Amino acid sequence: MIRLEHVSKSYRTSTRPALDDVTVAVGKGEFAFLIGPSGSGKSTLLRLLLREEVASTGDVYVADLNVGRLSQRRIPQLRQRVGCVFQDFRLLANKTVSENVAFALEVIGKPRHTIRKVVPEVLELVGLEGKADRMPHELSGGEQQRVAIARAFVNRPLVLLADEPTGNLDRDISHEIMLLLERINRTGTTVLMATHDHAIVDSMRRRVVELQLGQVVRDESRGVYGVSR
Amino acid sequence: MRASFVFSEVVTGLRRNVTMTVAMILTTAISLGLLGGGLLVVRTIDRMQQDYYQRVETVVYLSADISANDPGCTSSTCSALRGQLESAPGVQTVIFESRQAAFARFQRIFQGQPELLQLARPEALPASLRVQLSDPARFPSIAKAFTGRPGVDRVTDQGEYLRQLFRALDGLRNATFVIALIQALAALLLISNTIQISAFTRRAEVGVMRLTGASRWYTQLPFLLEAVVAGVVGGVLAIVGLVIGKVAFVDRVLAGVFEAAIVPRIGYADIFSVAPILLLVGSVVAALTGYLTLRLYVRT
Ligand SMILES: Nc1ncnc2c1ncn2[C@@H]1O[C@H](COP(=O)(O)OP(=O)(O)OP(=O)(O)O)[C@@H](O)[C@H]1O
Ligand SMILES: [Mg+2]
Repeated sequence: MIRLEHVSKSYRTSTRPALDDVTVAVGKGEFAFLIGPSGSGKSTLLRLLLREEVASTGDVYVADLNVGRLSQRRIPQLRQRVGCVFQDFRLLANKTVSENVAFALEVIGKPRHTIRKVVPEVLELVGLEGKADRMPHELSGGEQQRVAIARAFVNRPLVLLADEPTGNLDRDISHEIMLLLERINRTGTTVLMATHDHAIVDSMRRRVVELQLGQVVRDESRGVYGVSR
Repeated sequence: MRASFVFSEVVTGLRRNVTMTVAMILTTAISLGLLGGGLLVVRTIDRMQQDYYQRVETVVYLSADISANDPGCTSSTCSALRGQLESAPGVQTVIFESRQAAFARFQRIFQGQPELLQLARPEALPASLRVQLSDPARFPSIAKAFTGRPGVDRVTDQGEYLRQLFRALDGLRNATFVIALIQALAALLLISNTIQISAFTRRAEVGVMRLTGASRWYTQLPFLLEAVVAGVVGGVLAIVGLVIGKVAFVDRVLAGVFEAAIVPRIGYADIFSVAPILLLVGSVVAALTGYLTLRLYVRT
């Protein structure tokens, strides 16, 4: 589902490459953690998958798309198949919970009757059925992240990318978010999650890909965060 | 493409920056109003030119001898001149005005001034051949061909004064267009600036749109439409402004001039024939400005 082949990425303004000859593949329906110290290149890898950045060398594939080669006009096709959530939620402050979720469908031109049907469904999936008409500032951090996940998932993407989705949340709430991501993974969606959070990685016992200074230094199928740091 | 969604985005965008929106629309309106004014001046000048050149005469004044002795243009000199004028290219009609007829006209013109009439005697006025040209530009060749001929005193053309008048009107028109152009520049910068601000205030929405895979059109159309709305609303205001200007200013101040048929009246039909041009220019230029701004400044 996701494949990077000898991918390097150098930002123009920095001397060290953010990614250095990375080859990694995540299969359909898999759940994988992307870990590593700050600056090791986790966010960069996710941005390559979204075509927010283009690899300096090497090839990036998502499903059957060669991401680096996509023309500007076909980038939306990629992004409609890849959902993503972030540490800072990125909800629209002037829209309600259900409007935030519906927005993701409206902007890709989904018909209104579809939107009316699937938005409540996905809000129920993330456990927010009673809060559809709240504004984001009326929600806790954990609830806001659920809205963000609902928005990323509402169009049933093949892949869900999460960049430190629990970075702003405390332990218990983080755990709930992980259960939610697991539930989404069980629907067949490939999940790739970048994180610093030892406890979560250790408790989940899922595949772990570790980056250091832009290189893959570890790839274990049922890993822990590790003891070295 | 969901029209209602795009439309509501446009309305929110315009409402969020009310002051900029108002400034953008007013500047656009003033610029388009001036353009419209300029176009109306052009129409008026064209019509005046047709009218006036139809009315002006080229006059071939005849010598004292003919004036005194040939009241019917029957002498060989006079009738030959008349014949040659009639067959000259660009000449429509030739009318002979005898000294008596000239004096009668003089008396008619200066009816109100008896002192002047008492002083004047028919002997002071020359007889003339009054020539209507189909094309006023022919005057120089007529003047050249007939000046200095036997029986001809001099050839004059009332058109010279008109040409000066029209040069002044052309200047007025050009000045209007220059001001319209400067205003248009201000309007363009304002539109561009408003779109940038609008894109900035909506960066969160645009960010979400990009990541959810909205097409370029979906992301940018609201901004483009904002610009087009400014262009169209500006155009409508400009047209309203022209109508008000006609009723409140032109019709009153120039009432006498219109009455005397010196300047042709500017009618509603004139304004409404300029209106589509203003709307078209307004919306197309605004859309182009919007498009270029998005290309240059807004990442998608
Ligand atoms: N836009 C950019 N321009 C220049 N350098 C960048 C840019 N983005 C990231 N980098 C550099 O690339 C390297 C990898 O950054 P990246 O954000 O991918 O790390 P990360 O693993 O996500 O870190 P963190 O855990 O702190 O989020 C860092 O050295 C960073 O300084
Ligand atoms: Mg990061």
